[in-house]
Amino acid sequence: MEWLGLAPSQLAWVGALAGAAVVGLYLLRQRRRRVLVPFAPLWARVLEERPSAKLFERLRRLLSLLLQLVLLGLLVVALGDPRPAGASRRGRTTVLLLDASASMSATDLPGGRAAAAREAARRIVRAMGPDDRMLVAQMDAEVTALTPLTDDSTALETAVTAYRPRDTGLDLSRALRFARDVLRGNAHGEVIVVGDGAYPPVAGDVTTDGSALRFVGVGRRGRNLGLTAFSARRYPLDRSRCEAMVELQSWSDRAESVVLTVSVDGAPIERARLRVEPGERVQRVIERLSGGGERLEARIALEDGSRDDLSLDDVAYATLPERRRARVLSVGNGNRYLEAALLLDEYLEVVDATAAQAPAALSRGRFDVVISDGAAVQVPPGVGWISLRPPPDGSPRPVEPGLFSAPAGGAIVFDRVDRRHPVTRFTSDLEEAHIGRVARYRLAPGDRVLGSGSAGPLLVAGERDGGRFVLFTFDVRESDVPLLVSWPVMLINAIDWFSGEDGAFQSSYRTGTAWRMPVPAGEREATVETPSGRRVRVPVMEGRAVFFGTEAGFHRLHSGGSHTLIAGNLGDPDESACAPRATLSVGSTRATAPLPGARGLRREWWVALLAAAALIVVAEWATWHRRVTV
Amino acid sequence: MGWLDWLRPKKKPAASEAELFDEAFQRKLEYLAVASRRLFAGRMRAERRTRIAGSGIEFADHRPYTPGDDLRALDWSVYGRTERLLVKRFEEEEDLTIAIVLDVSASMGFGGRARFDHARRLAAAMAYLSLSNLDRVTMVAVSTKVVRRLPPARGRGQIFKVFEFLRGLEPSGETALSEAGRTLGAELKRRGVAIVVSDLYDPAGFERGINALRYQKFEPMVIHVTDARDADPGARGDVLLVDTETGDGREVTLTPALVARFRDAHTHWRHEVEGFCKARRVAYAQADVEGALEEQVLNLFRRSGLVE
Repeated sequence: MEWLGLAPSQLAWVGALAGAAVVGLYLLRQRRRRVLVPFAPLWARVLEERPSAKLFERLRRLLSLLLQLVLLGLLVVALGDPRPAGASRRGRTTVLLLDASASMSATDLPGGRAAAAREAARRIVRAMGPDDRMLVAQMDAEVTALTPLTDDSTALETAVTAYRPRDTGLDLSRALRFARDVLRGNAHGEVIVVGDGAYPPVAGDVTTDGSALRFVGVGRRGRNLGLTAFSARRYPLDRSRCEAMVELQSWSDRAESVVLTVSVDGAPIERARLRVEPGERVQRVIERLSGGGERLEARIALEDGSRDDLSLDDVAYATLPERRRARVLSVGNGNRYLEAALLLDEYLEVVDATAAQAPAALSRGRFDVVISDGAAVQVPPGVGWISLRPPPDGSPRPVEPGLFSAPAGGAIVFDRVDRRHPVTRFTSDLEEAHIGRVARYRLAPGDRVLGSGSAGPLLVAGERDGGRFVLFTFDVRESDVPLLVSWPVMLINAIDWFSGEDGAFQSSYRTGTAWRMPVPAGEREATVETPSGRRVRVPVMEGRAVFFGTEAGFHRLHSGGSHTLIAGNLGDPDESACAPRATLSVGSTRATAPLPGARGLRREWWVALLAAAALIVVAEWATWHRRVTV
Repeated sequence: MGWLDWLRPKKKPAASEAELFDEAFQRKLEYLAVASRRLFAGRMRAERRTRIAGSGIEFADHRPYTPGDDLRALDWSVYGRTERLLVKRFEEEEDLTIAIVLDVSASMGFGGRARFDHARRLAAAMAYLSLSNLDRVTMVAVSTKVVRRLPPARGRGQIFKVFEFLRGLEPSGETALSEAGRTLGAELKRRGVAIVVSDLYDPAGFERGINALRYQKFEPMVIHVTDARDADPGARGDVLLVDTETGDGREVTLTPALVARFRDAHTHWRHEVEGFCKARRVAYAQADVEGALEEQVLNLFRRSGLVE
C-alpha cells in the first residue's frame, strides 16, 4: 500500500491529536440533563432491581468510545489516500502546460484558439488511466499551476475551463523547467504542451530530463499585422509639444493596405494609409504633436474592412507626462546667470526674493521649488530645493568650516560625473568647468554625489523632509559653469526631477515584464488599477513601484493621494507572429502526440473508507433516534 | 419558540386562581348535588342513626337495667308484665363529620398546576356534596405538616369558605399524610369520615398516612389523584433524575427498557395502593387529572364505594 495524500508521519500526528481529543472528551464527565420526577423512591426501586445495569452502561460507553475511534481512524486513513502498492508507479505523471500567451487570443478558429486548446485539454484529461495523475498549469510570461498533482478529473477539467490567455509573451523555457521540477523522481513523467507552437527557440540547456514531451497544436493560420512599438516623448526644449514613434510589422503572406490612426485623449490627430509588404517592418515618427493630452493611442485597421487574426496587437497605448506649471522662489541678491537659465523654460513661474523677504513669500503661497543662492532660507518640507553654496544656518546639510580654494594658477574641475542621475543627464560639457572655491558639507547616508573633484563633492542630490534637494557646493559666480550648456540643463533637470518629470520617463511598458514606475518621493506603497478593474497593491523600491504587467491598456498608478496614467502594450513580435506550427522541438527532443491512458477502474480506497464512516454515522444516528443505544 | 413546537406535547393550561371555582364549576357542583340525591336517595343523607338510651323520639329496643341508668328510661309497663327492669332505647339522628385531607406537597404541583387544580376541585366537589347533605365538613391541607385547616362548617352556604380555603393553597414541601391523622385526632371531638385527596407520593409510605387516620378512629376514604405522565419522564439518555419534593438527584441512563420497567413498577405500585385499601376496607378511587370531574365524582366514586 502506498499513500498519495498525507504522508504516514503526518497521518500519525493527525490521528494522535484527534484521538487524544476524542479520548479527552470521553474522559470528561458529561453534564447530565436534569429531569424532574414526582417520586424518586419509585425509581430507586426499579434501579435496584437490575444489578448488571452499571456494567452494561460502562460497556456501552466503552463501545461508544471505540466506535468514535474507529470513525476517526477511517477518516484519518482516508486523508492519506491509500492505494494498492505500486499504483502510482504504474501510472503516468503528467504536467499539462496550456499556452496562455497573447497569440492564443487569435481568432483563426471558431471560438478562438483558447476554446480549441480547452477542448484538446479536456480530451487529454478524460483519456487519463486509473493510475495516472496530472497537474494543469498555464504558461505565459510566467507559469501558474492551476491544480496540484491529482487524479481528480473533475478538478482538472474545472482548471482547464478556468484557463484564459493573457496579453503577454511566452517563456517556454521557464514552463519546461517548472514541469521538470514537478516530474523529478517520477518514472513515467510526461509533459504535454497544448498551444499554437509559435514559440521562440528554447535555450539549449532546457530539457525535459527524461520525461516524454507531447504536443497538441491548435490554430489554422496567422494572417496578422501588429504594432510592435509605440512611444512618445516631449521635446526637451519645447515641452508643450511632443513626438510619437510607431512601428508596425506584417506577418501576412500578402501585401496589405492599412490605415494608421493616432489619437490623443480619443481625438484623432494623425491618420495615414500605409502599404505593407509581407514581413515588412514600417516605422513612422509623428512630429510636433500638441502635448495637451495624456492618453495616446495608435490603431491600425485593414483598409478593405476585414480583420486580421490577432486584434490584440492592432492597438497600442502610450502616455505623456503631465506638464504642470512649476512655481519657483528664487532667493538671493540677484544672479543674472540663474535668472537667464530659468527664462529658458516657459512653464516656470519665477518669483524673486531676498533672504529677508523669503519667509513672507513662502507663507503667502505654495512653491514647488526654492532656489537659494548663497542665502539662508528655511525651505518647507516636501518642497524641492536647489541650493547654491548655502551658509551654515540655511543649508540642507551641515557645513564644515573653511573653504577649499583652488591652487594658484589652477582650478577645481569635475573629475567624476554620475550621468545616470536625472539631474546630470545631457550634461556632456560639465568636465570643462573651472571652479575657484568649494565649501565642504557633511553628507548623510543616502545622499548621492553627482559630480566630484579633487576638493570633494561638487554636486550632490538627496532627500530631506519628504522633498528632494540638489546642492552645489560652490558659488557658480566663482566658476565658469554658467557659461556651459550644462548649467541651464542641470537647473531644468533638477526642477523636472523634483516634479517627477525626469528625462527617463517611459511612455509605455511591455506586458510580461516587471514595470518600474516612479512614485512621489517618500511613498512606500502604491496601488495599480488595471484596465480590467483589478486593483493590486505593489511594493515601492528605490522610489519606483514594481508591478508585473499582464494586461495591455491604460493602468492607473495610485500613490500618495494622486494617480499617474501608465500604458501597457504587448509589443512582442514573437507573439504577433502567430502562425501556428504543427510540431514542437526542444533541443534534440521532438514532441509526439499524447497517448491515452491504460483502461481500468480507479482504485481509490478513500471512497470506501468515507462510505464506511458514513455508514457508521448513519447506524449510530438511527440507533440513537430509535432509542436503541440511548 | 421554533418550527418544532408542534412536536412538543401540549400541556393542559392551568386555571388561574380566580377561574378555579368559577360560575361554571359552581353550576357543575349544583348538578352533582341534584344527581347524587337522585342516585343515592335515602342513603347519602346525614341520617346516620345512633342508638343512645334515653334520648331521641323513635323507640328502638330494650336492654337490661344497670345501676346508674336514668330511671326515667325504665320501661315500667314491661316491668309490670314481666317484673324485669329494662331500659328503653331510642334511635337518634346524628350529623356526620367529614374531614377532607388535601395533599399540598410539591409533587402535587408536578408538571404544571393541572394535578393540584384537579385535586382542589375534587375536594371542593366532595365538600359541596357533604354540605348539601347537612354534614359537618372540615378541611385540612397537609404537606410536611398541616399547613392550613378549615374549622367544621355546616350548610350549603359554607361552600364559599371552602373555596376561599382552597384558593389560598400552594403546593410545596414533602408529603407526610400521617400528620393529618394526628392533627385531626387531636382537634376533632367527633370522629367521622376522612377523605384523603392525594397522589400518595409519601416518602414514609402511603400506608402510614392511611393507618394514622384509622388509628384515630376515622373512616378513611382515598381519592388517588393520578397522572399518566408520572410513569414516563419523556427524556432518554444520560440524565439526572431529581425528586420534586426532596431535590435528591440520581444519575440514570434512561433506556426504553428501563422506562418500560418503570412503567410496570408504577402500575404495580398503584395496584399495591388499591390492594392495601381493599384489604382494610378503605374506600379507594383513582382520579386521573385528564378525566372529567363530574364523571369521576358520580361514577368512579360510586364504583369505588366511596359513597353509599
